[in-house]
Amino acid sequence: MKPVDLHHGAATDVGHVRTVNEDSFLVAPPVFVVADGMGGHAGGDVASRIVVEEFARLVERGYDPRRGAEHVSDTIARAQARIVEYGEGQRAEHPRWHAGTTAVVAVLVDDAGTTKWLLANLGDSRIYRFDDGRLDQVSVDHSVVQELVDAGSITAEEAAVHPERHVITRALGSPEGVRPDFFLLPLSAAERLLLCSDGISGMIPDSEIAAILDAVHDPRDAADALVRAALDAGGRDNATAVVIDVVGLVHDDSYDSERQLASLEDKLGARP
Amino acid sequence: MSESTGHPRQLSTGSWYAVLGHRVTLLLPGEERARVAGLWELVDGGADFDEVLDGLLAGGIRALGGFVLVGHGEGTRALVRGGVTLTLATADGDAVVSGDGEGMWADRTLHGVTGGAVVLEGGGPADQVLVSGIARVGSLSFGDSAGVDGAGAVTPPADSHAPQEEPDRAEESRPVAEPVAQAPEPEQAEPSEPVAPYEPVADVVPIEAATSEPTTGAPETGEPLTFGAPTDEDPTPTGEQPAIAEPLADGHAVLDVHDGRDDHDGHTTVGPPADSFVRPGIPGQELAPPVVSRPVAKLVLSTGEVVEVDRTIVVGRAPEARRFASSDQPRLVTVASPQHEISSTHLEIRPGAGADHGSAVVTDLGSTNGTVLVQPGLPPEDLQAGIAVSLIPGAILDLGDGVTIQTTNP
Repeated sequence: MKPVDLHHGAATDVGHVRTVNEDSFLVAPPVFVVADGMGGHAGGDVASRIVVEEFARLVERGYDPRRGAEHVSDTIARAQARIVEYGEGQRAEHPRWHAGTTAVVAVLVDDAGTTKWLLANLGDSRIYRFDDGRLDQVSVDHSVVQELVDAGSITAEEAAVHPERHVITRALGSPEGVRPDFFLLPLSAAERLLLCSDGISGMIPDSEIAAILDAVHDPRDAADALVRAALDAGGRDNATAVVIDVVGLVHDDSYDSERQLASLEDKLGARP
Repeated sequence: MSESTGHPRQLSTGSWYAVLGHRVTLLLPGEERARVAGLWELVDGGADFDEVLDGLLAGGIRALGGFVLVGHGEGTRALVRGGVTLTLATADGDAVVSGDGEGMWADRTLHGVTGGAVVLEGGGPADQVLVSGIARVGSLSFGDSAGVDGAGAVTPPADSHAPQEEPDRAEESRPVAEPVAQAPEPEQAEPSEPVAPYEPVADVVPIEAATSEPTTGAPETGEPLTFGAPTDEDPTPTGEQPAIAEPLADGHAVLDVHDGRDDHDGHTTVGPPADSFVRPGIPGQELAPPVVSRPVAKLVLSTGEVVEVDRTIVVGRAPEARRFASSDQPRLVTVASPQHEISSTHLEIRPGAGADHGSAVVTDLGSTNGTVLVQPGLPPEDLQAGIAVSLIPGAILDLGDGVTIQTTNP
């Protein structure tokens, strides 16, 4: 795998309402993780920390970049086993104890000789990419409302205020086992990646996230600005943002791509 | 993957492969090692009878000397090929399904099956128990097979140190067990010629266990995730602050909901697992079989690159793959497009499913400039974005910028 120069920044805040920050994040190039724990009382924070620890261990040990998905999926499975085990220990004393966590992961992998982003998602934390001035949510939430949106039953706007918007359908710590979704992106498709907990994406609209990512050049400042914006919007949840820039990435749209599209439109009578 | 809801099978060691899941029991001769690996992925993933059959036949049937495939569902469906005999116990007596006949295979669907047994090779005692997994077997029985003579040699399972799950039913079946099929021909040369003649013992004693046997293995229960908690009446499965009703001195109760009404995490709960999640984003199109044991086509690109279609292939100027599982990572094929006529993620070619099984299927993923397909003997057609088209060998895809893809036989 060719080494890639990454600039990154991360910020987290407990918010204005909660007493414990149950979010955890890992910034260990080429591995980045955000985990949003659920279940109070030495629950969510431990669960999210376990995920981060396991990925830190993966970085320490090193991984075969050609088998990225396998490594990530194994690491998530190890974290899952530890969370379940920890939960069983806790429940011996507190029968109603629960813990779970979401996870979003970005790692650099080698796909047939080319370095790419391998992204993984479980739950409703999010991965966005910011490319050419456009913000695009890459991960697909594992949530009840997302399924309703997919099915066409409700719109994205209705989802934001839906009563079941906090019900997620997959998470680490559930006894059903975990099935992360994976995504593979060429580096050129994402000048900037954002990993965040729903304390960011649930507090400020995508348009504001895009504006911050566009305006703030340094990834460290961008992460800070995102968390601050979430706090200013109410800070009702732990907010965590990790911003990663691929350095030296030149956008490869050729000088005449717009003109080509226009001429094709002329020839075909409509934009194909 | 092991769940207590699975049903245990008693095994004796031998040279055949048993691939055991919650919904199917599959037996393959020892030489079918290559198929076993792929099929285990399917079976372990909770595939049903039809899916496993698809996967089993994907490698062609000519070379497949014998097999036994049993689907455990509402009814029990059994396919038997080759000189193998499966005995199924029902309340009305035993049914024998033998692959000896003229047909491609014997196919029976029975209801109220309480157990079953098949003897592939004589020999060892059926002293192993497996709920889910792969094993080398010489005979296999499941459910209330006590009356079925194939399982005659069932002995009580080894003690609970065995890594497999311990079935209660094995204990019940022990007293009735009667060794009959002790065909003393150790080490049959061809596993595909198993011991044929044995007769079911007359008095089958169906045990009520059979009723709970088949369907329970279905992985989706529709129950909300509970994070391993005992299924007590906990009101907030993962709530930040469980709402605890604290009785006050005057006998009233106060709900201790501490977090603000809009607090995010305080309300985040884990709902029922999403079972019918359509993974790749092509609505209305059947999914590719997760495992294809051999490529359905070969793609020859004008760039000189040759790609086999044994999984989903995504072609484009800078292609991306979205929403896949770790086991079915698509292959991304990048083609140069100096004029930018090719979209970053232009089209995908995948092994067909359902009616298109065995051929490659192309879908334009909403490319800007479109794709032209020329099938042999047909006029060129423009692919409609999102509409899958089955590819005939010899078909040529034109992506623009001089890049073409020719489909050939693998």
